[in-house]
Amino acid sequence: MRIVVCAKEVLDPDAVNNYALAGRLEIGDDGKTITQSAIPQLINGFDEQGIEAALKLRDAGADFTLTVVSIGSDQKSLLKHSAAMGADEIVALRTEATDLDASAVANILTAYIQSSGGADLVLCGRQASDDDQGVVPALIAEALGMALVPIARDLELKSDTLSVTRVTADGDEVVEGAFPAVVTVSNELGDPRFPTAKGKMAARKKKPTVVNVDELGLAAEALAPKVKLTRQFVPEIQGNCEFLTGSPADVAQKLIENLRAESVIQ
Amino acid sequence: MSSNAIVVVSWGEGRDGLPAGAVEVLTLGRKVAAAAGADLAWLVIGPASDKLAETAGQYGVASLERIEDAKLESFAPDTLVAAVSQYCESNNPKALLFNQIEETRQIAPRVAGRIGGGVVTNVIDIDASGDLKVTATAFGGDTNVVYELSGASTFAIAVNSTALVAEPAEAPTNPAAESVSVDLSSVEERFAVTQRPQAEGPRLEDADIIVSGGRGLGTPENYKLIQELAAALGGLPGASRPIVDEGWIDSSHQVGLTGKITRPALYLAAGISGASQHMAGCSAAKVLVAINKDEAASIFRYARYGIVGDCLEILPELIKAAKS
Ligand SMILES: Cc1cc2nc3c(=O)[nH]c(=O)nc-3n(C[C@H](O)[C@H](O)[C@H](O)COP(=O)(O)OP(=O)(O)OC[C@H]3O[C@@H](n4cnc5c(N)ncnc54)[C@H](O)[C@@H]3O)c2cc1C
Repeated sequence: MRIVVCAKEVLDPDAVNNYALAGRLEIGDDGKTITQSAIPQLINGFDEQGIEAALKLRDAGADFTLTVVSIGSDQKSLLKHSAAMGADEIVALRTEATDLDASAVANILTAYIQSSGGADLVLCGRQASDDDQGVVPALIAEALGMALVPIARDLELKSDTLSVTRVTADGDEVVEGAFPAVVTVSNELGDPRFPTAKGKMAARKKKPTVVNVDELGLAAEALAPKVKLTRQFVPEIQGNCEFLTGSPADVAQKLIENLRAESVIQ
Repeated sequence: MSSNAIVVVSWGEGRDGLPAGAVEVLTLGRKVAAAAGADLAWLVIGPASDKLAETAGQYGVASLERIEDAKLESFAPDTLVAAVSQYCESNNPKALLFNQIEETRQIAPRVAGRIGGGVVTNVIDIDASGDLKVTATAFGGDTNVVYELSGASTFAIAVNSTALVAEPAEAPTNPAAESVSVDLSSVEERFAVTQRPQAEGPRLEDADIIVSGGRGLGTPENYKLIQELAAALGGLPGASRPIVDEGWIDSSHQVGLTGKITRPALYLAAGISGASQHMAGCSAAKVLVAINKDEAASIFRYARYGIVGDCLEILPELIKAAKS
């Protein structure tokens, strides 16, 4: 059995939050790229939880090889981290293209998975914390003809089926079906483990498999973006906050009175 | 339906019997169709309220299209994807507009993948004067991005309807309900539900009053102050992600980008910093009240009323005042 986790490198969302809060988030001259070099890049948190989901299956006794794959021009630290967590194989899909849209990304990942022996289970984070789009897993599922099981908090391998506890608006739901499948992982799965010293040592020796995207035999239209980023900007937040002051009892009184006067509460 | 139409795609029943967010998305769809010189269609799948035709007319729908099939009585993702994809293949719409909820977030990209279309989510505005251009949120809302959509005949667009206001058309229409024929006989759900969610009472998405707590509460025990105030105000308790992750309260209470997207009349946030990803789930509240000990907390930028102070001192007083 083979599990492939697709992982993306993103700008640290907390740092982006902090710059945005301070009103200092900068968009570059191209009008669409965040340019602060002080914002670190790191593995998308949900994707890291995808790796964690696989490792939990291994802890529960499942036997498989775990491949972590990432697209970009330099994924060294992401892949090292993945190896240190416990990935058996780390794969860099190299491209200098900066305008890939979700469909192109899904086509590349699909072509890689197909050309490298396929997968029984593809795990992805539910969405990336930069563009928040969350569509690549579904596009991969369609391209590979696999079922999509979104927003998992728990996975369990049964003899030849997969049982997934999903987070839905109405509470948890359990679904069960056959392999292969694409499953997306949510934060409810729990924090990813820290690499152990031994894991880090092993990762140092592990070399990523490097595949040039050009070698995957994709047609030009499979890589041409249909959803093109043309602009990025920081939206204005209209603040008109009225601060209530006084003792806790005073402010509580004032607030409740105001809300009642405005018929917001009874 | 003529090809190149703008098609709002809905299923399920929300609070008013209509599919959740449908009238908001129809309002946007009407604007887009007018700008694009296209027809507005409303594709409603599965069982639906008898208010459908009336609502379609009020919102200026040119054509109300229905897919009904025994396999679509309840949410069935593989079947829905097949149904909408077949619809697209025979009707070739320009855009499919979905109200963004967890269900549509999985169906929209799958349909796009199946039919070779493009897909974009978190959309808050659409400009259809030339090629479609959409504005979407990114980084939880810290930034907005504009995407140009071209190079595919159909785009699936998931719209965040909490920021939209429903407006009936100036000139109501009288759309005939058309039944769309699809062949779903060979479609089987690949994953079967073995345990249904046990919905516990009312949902945050439908609440008029929400009182939410965050890490500033300090300890899990203090979350009961949030529950008590919510009860005293006749509302529901919510939470930020960290305290859900810590297990103080279960995830059905998480408000935000990856939790519940709410639109209450009152949202009261105690001990919540106001990170964009949290605000994505509550900034559409009519009145937002923030209690935070840090006067520079981001949450005050969104708040109508702010209280700078210790929420552990203020919440008990609020509970008293609300009960009086
Ligand atoms: C991709 C992604 C998705 C996310 N999705 C969500 C989501 O859906 N929902 C969500 O909530 N978060 C989400 N987050 C996390 C989000 O970025 C923030 O980290 C989170 O919302 C912070 O929660 P908090 O405000 O409770 O905690 P903190 O940011 O730690 O803030 C605690 C606040 O409490 C205040 N405080 C402390 N003590 C007191 C006191 N005694 N009285 C009053 N105030 C006090 C502090 O001043 C501070 O402002 C997401 C993050 C990412 C990257």
